[in-house]
Amino acid sequence: MGKVFDAEFMISIVPTIASKLYITLWIAFASGFFALLIGFGVAMIRYFNVRVLSGISKAYISIIRGTPAMVQLLIAYYGIPIALRGLNESLGTELSVNGIPASVFAIIALSLNSGAFMSETIRGAMLAIDSGQLEACYSVNMTTWQALRRIILPQSFTNALPALGNSFISLLKETSLVFNISVIELMAQAKITASKSYRFFEAYIVVAAIYWICCFVLEQVLARIEIRVRKYERGVPQ
Amino acid sequence: MIRVSGLEKSFGSNHVLKDVNLEIGKGEIVTMIGPSGAGKTTLLRSLNWLDAPDGGSVTIDGAYACARTADKKAIRELRGKTAMVFQHYNLFANRTALENVTESLRLVRKLSREEADRRGMELLERVGLADKRDVYPSFLSGGQQQRVGIARALAADPEVILFDEPTSALDPEWVGEVLAVMTEIAKEGMTMVVVSHEMRFVKNVSTRVIFLDDGRIIEDGTPEQIFYSPKHKRTKQFLKQADLGA
Repeated sequence: MGKVFDAEFMISIVPTIASKLYITLWIAFASGFFALLIGFGVAMIRYFNVRVLSGISKAYISIIRGTPAMVQLLIAYYGIPIALRGLNESLGTELSVNGIPASVFAIIALSLNSGAFMSETIRGAMLAIDSGQLEACYSVNMTTWQALRRIILPQSFTNALPALGNSFISLLKETSLVFNISVIELMAQAKITASKSYRFFEAYIVVAAIYWICCFVLEQVLARIEIRVRKYERGVPQ
Repeated sequence: MIRVSGLEKSFGSNHVLKDVNLEIGKGEIVTMIGPSGAGKTTLLRSLNWLDAPDGGSVTIDGAYACARTADKKAIRELRGKTAMVFQHYNLFANRTALENVTESLRLVRKLSREEADRRGMELLERVGLADKRDVYPSFLSGGQQQRVGIARALAADPEVILFDEPTSALDPEWVGEVLAVMTEIAKEGMTMVVVSHEMRFVKNVSTRVIFLDDGRIIEDGTPEQIFYSPKHKRTKQFLKQADLGA
């Protein structure tokens, strides 16, 4: 019988598992970036109640919220190649799926997933800003785009920041699902490493610690950003 | 300079403006009074299309917008001739006092930062708030916020400034300073359309008073005519109820 808990082994596998951290972070940050873009886009469509697009956005949010992220990942993984083949057959193009790494499917699925949640956060934050400020922009002849860019969105972003931070932390943790579509990131590497020795518990402890450290650092960074962007609520600048 | 013809506006089943016709000349200080729900604020907000009318047209200094045909360009042209001071100030919360004033100078009139800041400081000085240039709105008193609101309106270099109950949300102690600034601006010849029941302003500064009731202009004349010898029963009734008459 081996040891109940092999601390030495646990420490020895840290470098192997951590070597895939960059994949996890890459998927999280790329998805976070696109999710933010989707979130802002969809929030604006719904804020201005753009015809047709507004209905599509509502359906998109409802579907994403109503299905598990795991299922969305698998649908993206199997669905995108099928969609490409369909496109090739109907348009005679020759787009190949083989050149696309699985991490791209992961990023697409996670961006769409997180984007839906972020859009609701951002829309809520936009609605929280008194429409009087938008009217004031119009009253001095600013365009809608200028009003959004200079007045409405910066304040919405500030209001939304804590919730967006939470969304991003969730996203970082959800990347642990992507081993299911053959992306070798932290979680997948932990499974591979553990399966050689059957010491799964130790491997998962290492993974948990790495996720937790990442989230902890992220929380600190977000707190700093929040203090910075909230300066207008503190009176005099600096 | 301002011509309003056949203005109509409904909010749902509520018919707020009923065929309103009005002409205002350059330099006039027009105060609109009337019971709540009479359409004063809606009429004011139609002048810069913040409330888009359902019928009729507005012409200000050559800029023309008609309810049926008004497009973005026409509306922007109209807004270019006007500026507004709001009941609740509506200052940009993420901009300092100075930035509230310079925002339109930079974005709309495309001045450089230096020029915009210089002009912005002139305007803040005019409303007596040069020392508050770097303070954000949430740290200004109501009276100070409204004075910044007036400076911001002046920065747009409008032909007419529209005041929507500029003192009614203020604590009594701040009303005086805002009225003083408004009086200054009036003296300099600015055309002003004001929705207000502030008698000190109406009687001392206004050149003309319009009484609205139920979406129509009922009476239109000098403050003396309206307050001391109103012609219409409805005007008399209102002045008596509101305790505004002589």
